[in-house]
Amino acid sequence: MTRRRADRPGPVGGHLYRREEDRRAEFWTEALGDPPAVYGERIAYVGDRPLRRWDPYRSKLGAALARGWTGPLPSPGERWLYLGAATGTTASHVADLVGREGRVYAVERSLRPFARLLALGGRYPNLLPVLADARRPEAYLDRVPLVDGLYLDVAQPDQVDLALANARLFLRGSGALLLALKTSSMGREKDPRRHRDEAEDRLEGPFEIEETIALEPFHKRHFLLGGRPTRALVAGASAPPVSRRAGPRAERRR
Amino acid sequence: MADGVLLREGPRAYWVEAGRPPVGAPWSSGPLPENLRALLPRPGRGAVGCVDPSLVASATALGVAVHPAGVAELRRAREALPLPVAAEERAWILTRARADLEKALAAPVETLIALAREEERVERTVGRETGAKEQFLPGPTGELAEYARDHDRFLLSQREHHERLAARLERLARATLPNLSVLVGPRIAARLLAAAGGFEALARSTGARLQILGARRRPSGHGPRFGLLYRAARMADVPPDRRGRYARSLAALAVIAARADAYTHADVAAALVARRDRRVEQLRRQG
Repeated sequence: MTRRRADRPGPVGGHLYRREEDRRAEFWTEALGDPPAVYGERIAYVGDRPLRRWDPYRSKLGAALARGWTGPLPSPGERWLYLGAATGTTASHVADLVGREGRVYAVERSLRPFARLLALGGRYPNLLPVLADARRPEAYLDRVPLVDGLYLDVAQPDQVDLALANARLFLRGSGALLLALKTSSMGREKDPRRHRDEAEDRLEGPFEIEETIALEPFHKRHFLLGGRPTRALVAGASAPPVSRRAGPRAERRR
Repeated sequence: MADGVLLREGPRAYWVEAGRPPVGAPWSSGPLPENLRALLPRPGRGAVGCVDPSLVASATALGVAVHPAGVAELRRAREALPLPVAAEERAWILTRARADLEKALAAPVETLIALAREEERVERTVGRETGAKEQFLPGPTGELAEYARDHDRFLLSQREHHERLAARLERLARATLPNLSVLVGPRIAARLLAAAGGFEALARSTGARLQILGARRRPSGHGPRFGLLYRAARMADVPPDRRGRYARSLAALAVIAARADAYTHADVAAALVARRDRRVEQLRRQG
């Protein structure tokens, strides 16, 4: 009787919707693209508004939500800088969340995924693809203004440094940082939780970490970190830029 | 510390000085617009902070001292700029993205990678369709026979398409990877490049890595002995039980060839081919 009603996704706030399925939370976003589906996800309609199901197995932010994330999230009208957008699976959901008045600057470096991201940008009103390397933030200074949020999912050994360097250049003091930490890229010999602790230590100071969540079982050895910048972030802006080729190898030599 | 920062935003250039509103003008390349030039410090009297390569070039041409602006300086300057108009911003970024992508894909290496992947895909299609044909049993006449003739035509055109594509790929591979193409064959050379992801990645990889590049199984425990090299030149001439050893030797030679192609551009193919053939003969004599 009431089942049908419970089955329909209900608004959580902003452009985000949620519903319970088998006592598991499932998240949906208001689709802005036309046609609505971006990567073959399910579509549902609330009234005449199309919603896209956020697949937690394909998106780290989606996985964090499914695991009960309460940290910062993109909200309507904000500008977000998205580093490591790949083909735009998660970036499109972030674009949904910031809505028509917001912007997502989606940075991707590899060509073939970028070609698909560009096609997506063509039919998404607020997704702006940028072909560039997150290691060289000055290169997209001509396209990206100061932003309300920074999302980073680059799967690089120096991902924390990249987050800091980009935040120093682009993130507003009132903004938010979301960092999808892939610990496998930082060396498999260490326990993922130690990588997480070290990343938190590096970020603490310039940032105030609000929440860290493990993304198991959706993504192995991954965490999502969310935080807000402190005054120390901009004060530390004179710190040396990221090394061009930092990595486990450079670290071992030290 | 510079007197101000020269910045680029979309199709405009801006001069941003502390405590003053930024001044902008339409600019894409070449000499700076008049109103910005008037604001820059006189040559010898001050410095300009700037990181954009083409802006640096234009400012240097005017004789003013240019130094790379620091992160804090850049951030302050960027913050001072007016926010772009939504529609204009989107059009500009999309155009720029398309241009950047086209430019990057036009590089010979990227062209070769794209063709190599395409060739692999078409080869799979032809193989699959050929296999399907063998299982399909049409009678001598009737609906099925007509369909079979249709399919024959389709298959023939696919095979021709594949041949043309392969010829195109081989020509490009011989030009871009001359040594490796001679050593392992142009098609495999191109596939190795595509699997590695680029010139640099291919040249930097080790023989052990190259030996199993493109293998479907993970190299743990008794891992795979071959990846793409299984179809490399002269593999068929080696008895099956010694192919793993040949793959190892060939991979070692292939690394030398790849490095020559990427860095020295020397012609080492003849020497490597001699060593390869010697190894093949050696392996055939054994056992």
